[in-house]
Amino acid sequence: MRSTAWLMWLGACAGVLWTTRNPLYLVLALLCIEWVRASLVQRTSPSVLARSSISPARLVVFMVPLSALLNAVWTRAGDTVLFRLPSWLPLIGGAITLEAVVFGALNGLVLAGFITAFSVLNRALPVRALVNLIPRAFHSLAVIVSIALTYVPFTLRQAQAIREAQLIRGHALRRVRDWLPLFMPLLAGGLERALQLAEAITARGFANPGRGNLRLEALALVGLLLAGLGWLVRLLVPAFSGWGWAGLLVGMGLTGWSIWRLGKRIPRTHYRLEKWTLKDGLVIGAAVLAVVGLHVPLFNRASLFYDPYPVLTLPLFDPLIGACILCLAVPAILLMGDSPE
Amino acid sequence: MSQTPRPAARWLSIGTYILISIIGLAAFLYPFWLPAIEPSGISGHAQDAPVMTLLLIGLCLIAIFLDAQANGLTTKTIALLGVLVAINSVLRFIEVTIPGPGGFTPIFFLIILCGYVFGARFGFLMGALTLLVSGLITGGVGPWLPYQMFTAGWMGLSAGWLAALMAERKRRTTDDGRPILPSSVVRRPSSWPLLPLILFGALWGFLYGLIINIWFWPFATGPAAQYWQPGIGLAQTLQRYAVFYLATSAGWDVFGAIGNAVLMLLFGLPTLRTLLRFKGRFTFNYRPVQVVSGSAQLSEA
Amino acid sequence: MISFNQVTFTYPNAAQPALQNVSLQLRDGSFTLVVGESGSGKSTLLRCVNGLVPHFSGGQLLGDVRVLGFDPVQAGPEVMSQQVGFVLQDPEAQFVMDTVEDEIAFGLENRALPRQDIRVRVEEVLDLLDLEPLRARKLETLSGGERQRTAIASVLAMRPRVLVLDEPTSQLDPKSAEDVLNALVRLNADLGLTIVLSEHRLERVLPFVDTVVALFAPSLERELHIGTPAQVMPHIDLAPPLIQLAKALDWHPLPMTIKEGKAFSAQLVRPEIASAPAAAGAHTNMAPLLDVRHIDFGYGPQPVLKEVSLQVRAGEVLALLGRNGSGKSTLLKCIIGLNKPKRGEVRLDGTSTAGQSVAQLSQRIGYLPQDPNALLFADTVAEELAITLRNHHVPAAELQPRVAAALHQLGLADKAQRYPRDLSTGERQRVAFGAIAITQPRVLLLDEPTRGLDYAAKRQLVRLLSEWRVAGTAIVLVTHDVEMAAEIADRVAVLSQGEVIAEGAPAEVLATSPWFAPQISRLFPATPWLTVEDVLKALKSL
Repeated sequence: MRSTAWLMWLGACAGVLWTTRNPLYLVLALLCIEWVRASLVQRTSPSVLARSSISPARLVVFMVPLSALLNAVWTRAGDTVLFRLPSWLPLIGGAITLEAVVFGALNGLVLAGFITAFSVLNRALPVRALVNLIPRAFHSLAVIVSIALTYVPFTLRQAQAIREAQLIRGHALRRVRDWLPLFMPLLAGGLERALQLAEAITARGFANPGRGNLRLEALALVGLLLAGLGWLVRLLVPAFSGWGWAGLLVGMGLTGWSIWRLGKRIPRTHYRLEKWTLKDGLVIGAAVLAVVGLHVPLFNRASLFYDPYPVLTLPLFDPLIGACILCLAVPAILLMGDSPE
Repeated sequence: MSQTPRPAARWLSIGTYILISIIGLAAFLYPFWLPAIEPSGISGHAQDAPVMTLLLIGLCLIAIFLDAQANGLTTKTIALLGVLVAINSVLRFIEVTIPGPGGFTPIFFLIILCGYVFGARFGFLMGALTLLVSGLITGGVGPWLPYQMFTAGWMGLSAGWLAALMAERKRRTTDDGRPILPSSVVRRPSSWPLLPLILFGALWGFLYGLIINIWFWPFATGPAAQYWQPGIGLAQTLQRYAVFYLATSAGWDVFGAIGNAVLMLLFGLPTLRTLLRFKGRFTFNYRPVQVVSGSAQLSEA
Repeated sequence: MISFNQVTFTYPNAAQPALQNVSLQLRDGSFTLVVGESGSGKSTLLRCVNGLVPHFSGGQLLGDVRVLGFDPVQAGPEVMSQQVGFVLQDPEAQFVMDTVEDEIAFGLENRALPRQDIRVRVEEVLDLLDLEPLRARKLETLSGGERQRTAIASVLAMRPRVLVLDEPTSQLDPKSAEDVLNALVRLNADLGLTIVLSEHRLERVLPFVDTVVALFAPSLERELHIGTPAQVMPHIDLAPPLIQLAKALDWHPLPMTIKEGKAFSAQLVRPEIASAPAAAGAHTNMAPLLDVRHIDFGYGPQPVLKEVSLQVRAGEVLALLGRNGSGKSTLLKCIIGLNKPKRGEVRLDGTSTAGQSVAQLSQRIGYLPQDPNALLFADTVAEELAITLRNHHVPAAELQPRVAAALHQLGLADKAQRYPRDLSTGERQRVAFGAIAITQPRVLLLDEPTRGLDYAAKRQLVRLLSEWRVAGTAIVLVTHDVEMAAEIADRVAVLSQGEVIAEGAPAEVLATSPWFAPQISRLFPATPWLTVEDVLKALKSL
C-alpha cells in the first residue's frame, strides 16, 4: 500500500528530526528529505487547488534566522558573547550569545525539516488516498469528507455563475457588504443541494451506522485518560519519566485498539486495493532502519545529544548513524527509475 | 436532533467533554506551568513535550469525533455537513488566493453560526472538518493540522453551547397558548442574538490565533529546556510569551477578531435566517408512532 | 406488482394533501409515465414507491402501498433500495465520489459485498449504460446526460427490479435526454426492468411507454387516469402539438409518434393547402435595435465565436438554436458584456456598448441566465425585485410603485411576500425575470428559459414574452425547444461551431431542417406550417 509506505517514511523523518540536535545529522536529514521532494516535484504535477510547494531553500532561509534571532534575544545562556544590548530594554536587554543563536538555528532546521517532509506527503498522495486512510470507525466522517471534496469544484463553478448573475442585475463590489449577494445564493443553493443529496443517498441505501458499542467507546476514553496521565507524569515527575511514556503509549494503544474494533463492526468493503510492491517494502524497511538505527546502543549515541551550551563545541559525527539517516533518501532513489509525467 | 440517549451514553458524552476540556486546557498551557514547576536543570525529557502534546491532542480529537459521530449524525446531517464544509473550504481557498488583511479569515463566521443553529456537536464537526478539507485541497497538511482542527472544532462546539445558554429565552408557546413544535416554526430572530454573536465571533477570532500561537511557540523556540535559568517563575514565562506573541502574531490576530466581528455584523442576520429556514427540513426524524391498519403517523423529533 | 390502494398523503404542516385516494396497479415489466402539472403530486407518488415518502419527508400517509410484496412504509428506504432504484432530477446533486467507477462502487461498498462481486457488478453496469469509455473520468467533467447515466448506473448496481426516475431529463439538452431515454428503453426491453418515470416533455417519452398515469392535484377533484397512452392522453389538457392537433381534428386512435401521425396527416395535405402562406413578419424596414457585428471570441487560443453577426429589431423575437457547445450562451454573454470580444462590437440603438460596465449595460439589456437560482437570495419576492432597483440607484420613493407594477405584470402579486426559493420552477423563473427586467430594458436576452418548465409554465412564459414584444423590446431567445421557437419567434438563427449557419423566417429555417423541425412541420413536410394554430387556421380558411 503505497500510502502506508509514505506515512511510515513521514514517521521516520519525524523520528529522526526529533531525536537529535546534532547540526550535522540535521543537515543530512534535511538534504535527504529535500532530495525526495525535488524528485517528486519533477515527476508529478500539483493538484489544481494546491498552493505550489514552498521550496525548502526558501524555508530554511526564512525559518533558521528567525528562530536563531528569537532564541538569542531572550536566552541569556552561553559563554561566547557576541554583543550586549542595553540592559534597560525590558526583556531583551542583556548579552546576546553565540550559543543561543546556534540553538535557535538548530530549532529552525528541525521545523524546516518537518514542513518539507509534510509537503512531500501532500505531493505524493492524491487527496482521495488520504481520505481512504481514515479508519473505518469514522466511516461517516469519511463520507462527509468525500462529499465535501466532490462539491468543492462544483461550488467554485457556482460561485462564478452567481457572480455573473449578480453583475447582470447591476451589482458592483465596492464595500464588504456587497459580498452578501454573492454568498447568500451560494449558501441557500448549497442547503437545497444538501437536501437533494441526502435524499439520493438515502434512496441508495446509505444509512448512518449509528451508535457503535458503548463499551468500546468507553475504552477509547479510558485510553485517553491513561495517555493524559502518562503525559502529566512524564512532565512533572522526572523520576518516573519512563513510566510517563509508557502511559502515553499504552493509552494510545488502547484507544487505537478500540477504534479498530469499532471499525470492524461497520460492514464495509473496498473496491480499490492498493497493491504491495517491492518499492513499498524497501521504503518501509528504510524508514524502520532510520529510526531504529538512532537508538541502537552499538552506535555512538552520544553524538546525537548535541548541546551548544554552555560553550560552543564542534559536533561529533558517527558514520553509522549517518548511514541510517541516509535511509531517508530511499524514496528518491526508487523514484529515479520513474520517468517524469 | 437525535434520539434521547440512554443514561450510560449520556454519562459517556459528559465524561468525554470534561476529560477533553481538562486535557485540552492543560496541554495548551503547558509552556506556562511547566517551567514554574521545574525550576532546575536541563531536563532532557521535557524536549519531548511538543511531540507528546501533539499525540495527546490527536487522541482528544479521536474521542470527540467518536462522540460527535455517535450522537450528532443522521443521513441528512451527513449530506448537510458535506456541502457546508465544501462551501467553507471554498471560502478558505478564496482567502488563500486573495489575501485579506492580516489574520482575517472568513471560515470562522460560518463555523460559529452552524454551531449556533445546529448544535454543539454539529459545530465541532463543522470546524474540525473544514480545517481538514481545506488543508487537503490547499496542500496544507502538516503537523499543525490536529491543533487547527481541535481549536476550530472548539469554536463550533462553544457556539452550540452559547445557543443552548440563550435558549432559555426562546418562546415555547404562541400567544394563545398553543405549543410551538421545534421544527415547525421558522424563527425570525430579532437583532438581539446578533450582539452576543458579534462579541463571540470577535473573541474567537482572537483566541484562535492566540491558541495556535501557543502551540507554535515551543516548536519555534525550542523545548522548555531553555528555561534552565533557576527560579524562573510563571510571571517571567508569561512575559516571554507576551513578547513572542506581540512580535509574531498579535497584529495578525487583531485583524482576525475585527474581521470576524465585521462579518458577523454584516452577514450574520441573513445567514442566520437562511440556516434557520432550512433547519426544520434537516432535523426531522421519522418515527412511526402508531401503525393502524394501513396508516402511519409521524412524530417530530 | 406495484399497487397503491386508496393512498392519501399530507406533508407536514401542509394544508392540503399532496395525494388523495390514489389507487393504481402497475404490472411487472411495464414502462410507465406519470404525467401531471406542478402540484399534482407526481414526485410524491414516485417517492412512495421506495419509501422516501414518508420516511425522508415526514407527513401522514394513509392507505396501502405494496411494491414487489414489500410495504415501503414498514420497510423504509434502506431495505427498499435493494428492490427499487431511485434517480433524481438534478445531475449535480446525487454524487458522493468524484469518478464514475468509484461512484458506482460506493453503494456496493456500503453493502459490504465481497470485492469480486463489486467488480463484476461495476463492469456489467458500465456496459449496460455505455459508460465504459468514461469509467475513469471525473464526474465534474461529464455532460449532464453522462452524469444522469452514471446516476442510473449507480442505482442499477444494486440489481433492483424497479427503477423510478423523477424528471431525469428536465435539466438536460435534447441530445443528452435522448441518450438517457434510449438507455432506459433498452433496460426495459432487454432486461425487463420495470420503469416508472415522470417527465414534462412528453413528446420525448410517449413513443416508448406502455402505460401512462395522469395525476391531478387534489384540489381540482379530478379522477386519476391510467391506461395506454392513447387511452389517457385525451384527458390531459396540455400535451405535445401532435396530440393537440390530433384531439382537435378528432384522429382515432391517438397517434403518439410522427409516424403514426403521418397516417392521418397525409390524407389532409392537398396542393391548395400546401401553398397557403404563413404569416409574414413586418419588420424588415426598421433599423436594428440590437446590432451584433463580427464578434470574435475565445476563452483561450481556441476560437468559440467566429465573425458572428446578428440584428434584432424592436418588437422582434430572434430564436437562437444550435447544438450544445456551439457558442450560444457565450454569444449572449458577449452581448451583455460579461465576455469581452476580441474583435467586433455590439451596438445598442446605434451606439456601441464598448467601454460600458456590465452593471451599466444591464439597465438597458436584461439577461436571464440559465440558472435563475443564482440570482435569488432575498427574503421575499418583492424585496428581490427591489434589490435590482437599488443596485441601479433608483430613489427610494419610486421603489414601491415600480415593484408593485412589475409584480402585477408577472402575475406574482399574490406571492409578493413569499420566499422566492420556495416557489415552483416556473414561478422562480418569473421572479428572476422580474429581477432583471424591472429596469424596463430595451433588449431581453434569455438563455434556455424553458429548462425544467412544464407546459403550463411555458405557456405563461410565451404570454409574458409576447407582452414585452408588443411593448417594443428586442428579444433574443436561446433555446433547444423548437416548439417554443415555432410559436413565438419572428426570426430564427442557427449557430454551429461558433458561426451562424442559417438565418431567416421560422418557416424557412425550422421547417426545412431535419433536426430543428417542430412536430407539426414533420407531420406536414411540404408546408410552411409550424404550430397547431397554423394548421387549424389554414384548414379553416378552406
